[in-house]
Amino acid sequence: MTPEHVRSIAIAGGGPEAWLAAASLARLLKSSFCDVCVIDSPSRTAERFGETALPSFHRLNGLLGIDESDLIQKTRGTFRLGAQFADWGRMGDRYFHTFGPLGAKLDAVPFQHYWFKLRQAGDDTHIECYSTATVAAKMHRFAHPTSDRQSVLSFYSYGYHFHAGLLTAYLMEYAQAHGVRRIDRNVVDVSLRSADGFVDGLRLDDGSQLRADLYIDCTGIESTLARHVLEEGYRDERHWLPCDRAVTLLCKEATDLAPCAESTALPCGWRWRTPLQGCMDVGYAYSSAHLGDDQAVSALLAQFPGAALGEPRFLRFLPGRPAKFWEKNCLVLPGGDLEPLESTGLHLVQTGIARLLTLFPARRYSPNDIEEYNRLTGMEYERIRDLQILHFKATQRSDSPFWEQCRDMAIPDTLRAKIELYSQCGRIAMFEEEHFLEDSWLAVFIGQNCLPRDYDPLADVLEIDDVKAALLRMRSMIRESVETLPTHAQFVEAHCSATPSQVHA
Amino acid sequence: MRDPSGNRIRDIAVVGGGTAGWMAAAILARRLIPGGVTVRVIESPEIGIIGVGEATIPPIRLFNKALGIDEDEFLRKTRGTIKLGIEFKDWQGPGHRYFHPFGVYGSNSEQVSIHQEWLKLRELGDKSSLEEFSLNSVAARLGRIPGASASGDPLAPVFGYAFHFDAGLYAEYLRGYALAHGALRLERRIVEVDLRSEDGFIRALQLDDGQRVEADLFIDCSGFRGLLIEQALKTGYEDWSHWLPCDRAVAVPCDSASPLTPFTRSTARIAGWQWRIPLQHRIGNGYVYCSRFISDDEAAAMLLANLDGKPQAEPRFLRFSTGRRKKFWNKNCIALGLAGGFLEPLESTSIHLIQKGLTHLLNFFPDRNCAPVVEEEFNRIAINEYERIRDFIILHYKANARDAPLWNDCRNMTIPDELAYKIRQFRSSGRVVKYGGDLFAATSWIAVLLGQDVWPERYDRLVDQRDAAAMRAHLQQLRSFIGAAANAAPLHEEYLARRCQDSSVPQAGIVHG
Repeated sequence: MTPEHVRSIAIAGGGPEAWLAAASLARLLKSSFCDVCVIDSPSRTAERFGETALPSFHRLNGLLGIDESDLIQKTRGTFRLGAQFADWGRMGDRYFHTFGPLGAKLDAVPFQHYWFKLRQAGDDTHIECYSTATVAAKMHRFAHPTSDRQSVLSFYSYGYHFHAGLLTAYLMEYAQAHGVRRIDRNVVDVSLRSADGFVDGLRLDDGSQLRADLYIDCTGIESTLARHVLEEGYRDERHWLPCDRAVTLLCKEATDLAPCAESTALPCGWRWRTPLQGCMDVGYAYSSAHLGDDQAVSALLAQFPGAALGEPRFLRFLPGRPAKFWEKNCLVLPGGDLEPLESTGLHLVQTGIARLLTLFPARRYSPNDIEEYNRLTGMEYERIRDLQILHFKATQRSDSPFWEQCRDMAIPDTLRAKIELYSQCGRIAMFEEEHFLEDSWLAVFIGQNCLPRDYDPLADVLEIDDVKAALLRMRSMIRESVETLPTHAQFVEAHCSATPSQVHA
Repeated sequence: MRDPSGNRIRDIAVVGGGTAGWMAAAILARRLIPGGVTVRVIESPEIGIIGVGEATIPPIRLFNKALGIDEDEFLRKTRGTIKLGIEFKDWQGPGHRYFHPFGVYGSNSEQVSIHQEWLKLRELGDKSSLEEFSLNSVAARLGRIPGASASGDPLAPVFGYAFHFDAGLYAEYLRGYALAHGALRLERRIVEVDLRSEDGFIRALQLDDGQRVEADLFIDCSGFRGLLIEQALKTGYEDWSHWLPCDRAVAVPCDSASPLTPFTRSTARIAGWQWRIPLQHRIGNGYVYCSRFISDDEAAAMLLANLDGKPQAEPRFLRFSTGRRKKFWNKNCIALGLAGGFLEPLESTSIHLIQKGLTHLLNFFPDRNCAPVVEEEFNRIAINEYERIRDFIILHYKANARDAPLWNDCRNMTIPDELAYKIRQFRSSGRVVKYGGDLFAATSWIAVLLGQDVWPERYDRLVDQRDAAAMRAHLQQLRSFIGAAANAAPLHEEYLARRCQDSSVPQAGIVHG
């Protein structure tokens, strides 16, 4: 007896999230086993110009069999060692959050404690000197990490920056080649089964009906399907993550290609600058309660780094989460509508799809599968959210009502517990389903001027001179090794340069 | 300058010289004495060590590694044997058995967990047992010890092992280690615990010879009574006997029997269960029972009637109440081992809980003021781990199919929510929910759930993507591979003789002690 599984999946929304979901499902589910289609509405709201992937994207490359050079080339992509944060703690501050460890354990004691100790003793060496990824990012150098675990050049990972439209096209081509149908229509109505409120079918703008067993909503803030199904709706968390809008514009940039993005705190939000091949994605995410759209455009243009390509686009975010990510036969994959500060949009789509597959449903939906999906996804979302809130909370700025409000806001208990433990002893409390590990939290804490009252007493076991010598060796080795790397621009040029015609496409 | 804050811990007192006390002294000596900390162990000469034949789980090897112990020497000195898992007998009624292996089913490289494929083939009429896909289970039945499997082989099964050893010899061995690393030993009884009036911290211990031991941090390894954590600090105890009703045990060692089994055996009895732990020189046995359903004399008689060899001593009785201290860390005192709580040794977790307590202590090593936020984080993690192990043990009682008053009560009891959720999810889909504090991974849960007849309503639907014939061929290949690897491995006796070669232990003792 074969249990009746879901035989068809309809994905609403045509952005990178939708096509990422479609490509993954098409690769993992044989088309004879389950049919996948994307309703790619022509009247979608505007999207970001750039898209960012965390190192977890490598898993997707592996899964889909994507050749990295081909992907970067066709999406005008660049490599991402992390991001530089400016003006978040105080005006003039700069720090990096990169994908790699800060230093290495000595005598089984985590590195940061030795750094705290030496700092107390008057050593002002920046902690970033102990991070290969950060040293490389600052010097605009990049190469793939080596597989030699003895080398400090193996101590980092990297993500990507893509041109969003080209990434969408890339994933769409892959998905369609693997049997996904693209339906170029708008959804005009969602009909629900009267008995249980499940989605029964979709009416499209050509009058046709579309039915599937499972529906995935990747329409972001429009919530085309989910708003009909989610009984408890969306949890608005703007009291923690205040930026709900952004204005964005492409810049024709000619400066040195950085292997990292920039996030700069502005009076009513923050500005991103994401390097792409031949251009730069620039945007200002702001709080609509504190800043009007026109003022936002002026602020963006006032410090624009070069000539603009095209017209500004306005985006809306939904800081918060659906109360349930999966309800009945409708799954929500939030991505582009989340606070983009730590670039977790694509990552959350990837983990959402992976989790859906481990809990692959039957047509007779099991409430157990849905409950487990929501339990895990909720925890994952909240841990990422906490790190984002920390950026806003841990500020010493008081130059605008926006930052005063952030500094004084109440925060979730889980984040409060993390801050209290760290402030006391420099350790990071880790909860279930954390995507960002200790070093990410440390980068933000230290980068935003939060230092603990004390360090781990076990860091006193080694003689201080031995510690100093070990740290000096560590940072010299990192510096020397990074200097052997090519520049990011050279690396891209050599391996995955977009052709000129694509650059201005 | 080695004490910038002026508030560093300089003196640690470990109270109790059992397994917990000497494990603590050994690792603290290794990690802290080089930094100038004094570690004193106060060991009462009258108190015997509880813990007879001791069974462990694979992470014990990490503790050995942290100490830098040579495992061959350790096996020799503690008369240790190899443990590939636990055999459960009669938990679903007489004649029933299953095995909890210390290694995964299949090869870890599958997209869908292998038990899901097995569940489908079973529905199609396949008669193979899931144990045939576990190298640990197959080797254990044969009494053989496979080596590390060939890496890079996609079929390479994942293999793990732990040890059985003599707890008294283990404590002695660690005592030698700790003293050699600079720990101090006081063979004295504690007559009074002196608390600071201002904050209730422990200031000093008054010994029976008039000596006074002051310390900054106290490790309570005094056993059930919790001399510091309970008697002095009144921390409080959370009782779990409504979930785990056994409250006594009777233990007796007996002569060895051939062959030397590389696993612990746990046999369900009328009012509890009996352990069997094979060592090089004898077998440790005990009956864990519920005093509401059997008298001490009956329990001892039942134990003595079910030994593999001649008893080597008079039966010894123990009493306990299952549960945990409300806090493992309270003020400047950390409770380890039985002072922290009691979980019956059904899944051999006693030593592991001590080890984890020490790991957390080193990860959260405090200052003299023991900041409450650090203590709270330690307790949050430690309590969560303790409770997840508790749930795994409760599962064995809850999912039993025996007919006796104890067993009927247990089958009908209300269980903790986290366990109920895990069982519900497994029944629904065959998937194992993973929690943050889980020690036991999916394999362990699958072994016990299926072993005790908790069957999923369906297998994972993704399995249907694969052609049934190809899947059958794949599983057949895996089974042959595992069978061949297990059969080629040395017998347990041969394996131990090789590892204990330079021993002063006579070789004959290994097989027929």
